[in-house]
Amino acid sequence: MKTFIVFILKIFGLLLITMGLLDLLYTTAYLQSAQRSKIDYLYNSKNKKYDVIFLGSSRVNNHFVPRIFNDKGYKTFNFGITRSRLDESALILKMMIERHYEIKNLILQVDLNINTNDHSEAIRSLFMPYLHQSQTIRNHYKDIPEYDALLFIPFYRYMHYDGRIGFREMYFSLVHKRSNALDNDGFYPLESHPGKMIPADLSIYYPKRNHAYEEIKGLCQINHINLIALTTPMCKNTINRDYFSHIREVYPEIHNFENAVTDDKYFSTCGHMNKSGAEAFTQIVFNAFFKTKSNP
Amino acid sequence: MFFNSFHFAVFLPIVFVLYWFVGHKSKINQNYILIVASYYFYSCWDWRFLFLLIFSTLLDYSCALMIEQSTRQSTRKFWLWLCVTINVGFLGVFKYYNFFAKSFAALLRTFEWHSSPLLLHVILPVGISFYTFHGLSYIIDIYYGRIKSEKNFVDYSLFVCYFPLLVAGPIERATHLLPQVKRRRKFNFIKAREGVYQIIWGLVKKIVLADSCANYANAVFDHYNSMNSLSLVLGAVYFAFQIYGDFSGYSDIALGTSKLFGIDLLRNFNYPYFSRDIAEFWRKWHISLTTWFRDYLYIPLGGSKGSKWMMVRNTFIIFIVSGFWHGASWNFIAWGLINALYFLPLLLLNRNRRNLDDFRLGINFNSMRTLVDILITFSITCFAWIFFRAKSIADAFLYIRRMFENQNFTEQYFTIERYNYELITLVLVFVFVEWNNRHAVEPISGKYSWLKLSLCLGAIVALGVFSDYKEFIYFQF
Repeated sequence: MKTFIVFILKIFGLLLITMGLLDLLYTTAYLQSAQRSKIDYLYNSKNKKYDVIFLGSSRVNNHFVPRIFNDKGYKTFNFGITRSRLDESALILKMMIERHYEIKNLILQVDLNINTNDHSEAIRSLFMPYLHQSQTIRNHYKDIPEYDALLFIPFYRYMHYDGRIGFREMYFSLVHKRSNALDNDGFYPLESHPGKMIPADLSIYYPKRNHAYEEIKGLCQINHINLIALTTPMCKNTINRDYFSHIREVYPEIHNFENAVTDDKYFSTCGHMNKSGAEAFTQIVFNAFFKTKSNP
Repeated sequence: MFFNSFHFAVFLPIVFVLYWFVGHKSKINQNYILIVASYYFYSCWDWRFLFLLIFSTLLDYSCALMIEQSTRQSTRKFWLWLCVTINVGFLGVFKYYNFFAKSFAALLRTFEWHSSPLLLHVILPVGISFYTFHGLSYIIDIYYGRIKSEKNFVDYSLFVCYFPLLVAGPIERATHLLPQVKRRRKFNFIKAREGVYQIIWGLVKKIVLADSCANYANAVFDHYNSMNSLSLVLGAVYFAFQIYGDFSGYSDIALGTSKLFGIDLLRNFNYPYFSRDIAEFWRKWHISLTTWFRDYLYIPLGGSKGSKWMMVRNTFIIFIVSGFWHGASWNFIAWGLINALYFLPLLLLNRNRRNLDDFRLGINFNSMRTLVDILITFSITCFAWIFFRAKSIADAFLYIRRMFENQNFTEQYFTIERYNYELITLVLVFVFVEWNNRHAVEPISGKYSWLKLSLCLGAIVALGVFSDYKEFIYFQF
């Protein structure tokens, strides 16, 4: 029996060493990668200066065309990430501040995402490789239930979020395989789909006070960033458009742009515009808040 | 509590320590500890079904004693049929009642007679198909005088409820398990180490192979309408490896766990995807169920004796019943029927026992032929799995039609954000490892075992699927 206990202890030791080595390999791979996602790009950059940045979910990622702003003299980047919620947007902004970004204007999408104070597991996972390196990320996640396990058990974070930062993503990071996340200054255009547009039903949503949004407002105030919070377009057949007027009841400063573009020809799905719609919408937003610089 | 859960990872060491450090001095103590552990293990799913398990144990135990004590054949027959009827009745009610009620209503609808069948809203007790067959084999063996009934209720209870095999087999035989339960087990390091290796290899099969394949197979089967031919072919292959990795992985963990307690269980898989024909496949796939049906259904029906027609009839019965055993759905019946059709030519040409020998491959014509036979057998097996996995028979036919009609054999990006071909490397590596170890129980033992062990541990943590937890497929049966 003694031999068996020693044997089991050796296996546990081997497992721990394996996990430690894998953690080292994965973290090293992610730390040297800057072209797989907007998060690794952000982590590996410092002292960037932007006139305008966009933050939000896919309704930013697919809706704002930085080229339109850049052409008019505003250095702009779209940091919207599909599936992210305001919690992740807040962390991205905090990381920008940690990386000494200088930002003049932040355009933040606040519409469907204000319905919840929850987070996105898929996007939270993208921050995990930098957990040991970034105090900002640690502070942001210090109250989540699995925080200690994520921080102290080697490789646990990569197992817990294996779908997004597992072997496949590590391998692509290691061989510097570029993804399309950073193309077009962060804008990912969608195509139109043939067939009838299925209307989005917003009757199950109701806007609530959102901690992350309020945190973003506070950060912008402290760091002298001009915050432009706005809603983004939905197709004309959207059920319960009153949802957007309720947003203003909760937060009157949010600008309503849900009706800025409504024609079906500009939409890929009811909640996501196609490339033409995105261009039209970006132009409308630009015209609403900015003027072309004299020497772009 | 699943074998791949944290709960089990805590439960197993506690039972191990109690078994070898507290109860090691007598067989009775060892058996009591295993029974309490097994009942706890089972109650983790739903404690209410524990009564069903205990009732089934009591029923089989008592009926076996009555059969043995009876001198008149008619009384013996009465106790046998009472036991079989109640056991099968429970299985029928929990597993098949709704299926028959719905099918009957559907039949009536074809005669324009509309009815709304009375359906039962009960969940299927986990492992019922396994422990029912377990008990049935015991009672039938007693009836035919193959074994003596077990007088010690504790020993018999352990035979029925032993937790490594309780929920998904292997379906044990009294002749094999009871003698082991009846003597005190002494710790054997070699056996325990083999058990640990088998558990680790089982986890590789389940967490690395089966769960990865499940992600891809689900992506294909759930959206087969938008898949191209290559994706549909690969979907069937991925499902073949999913179900193999899932069930044989479970069996490896069960066998390995049992070895830690000094008890050997029946082998359930013997590298079935390296079979040269479908008969060999069925000798190597879910062996404990196949042999159960052979011994308690096929042979009593006449087996291979009698006319060709009788053999064909018996073969179809055994395959269809085997399919139906998996679940109350026409899919499983179709799957059984297809396998019977595969088997038919071998039976008619007396070739069903042709590939009983071991084989080695070299660079010659015979090896090429063997390889082609293996590939053909694997291909037709994958084809049958489509019926097993699809939501309905209609879906299975549409899947197959699209697979042949689409004719597009290019890469395709799935909704799970993966390309259709991405898992092929993992599957091929797995096949390579299995092929090189097809004469062993698991691939870790032997030379460089620590290196192989660390590779397996590395594979589990680095390639395993943890974020999307998947139950064992056979727990639903």
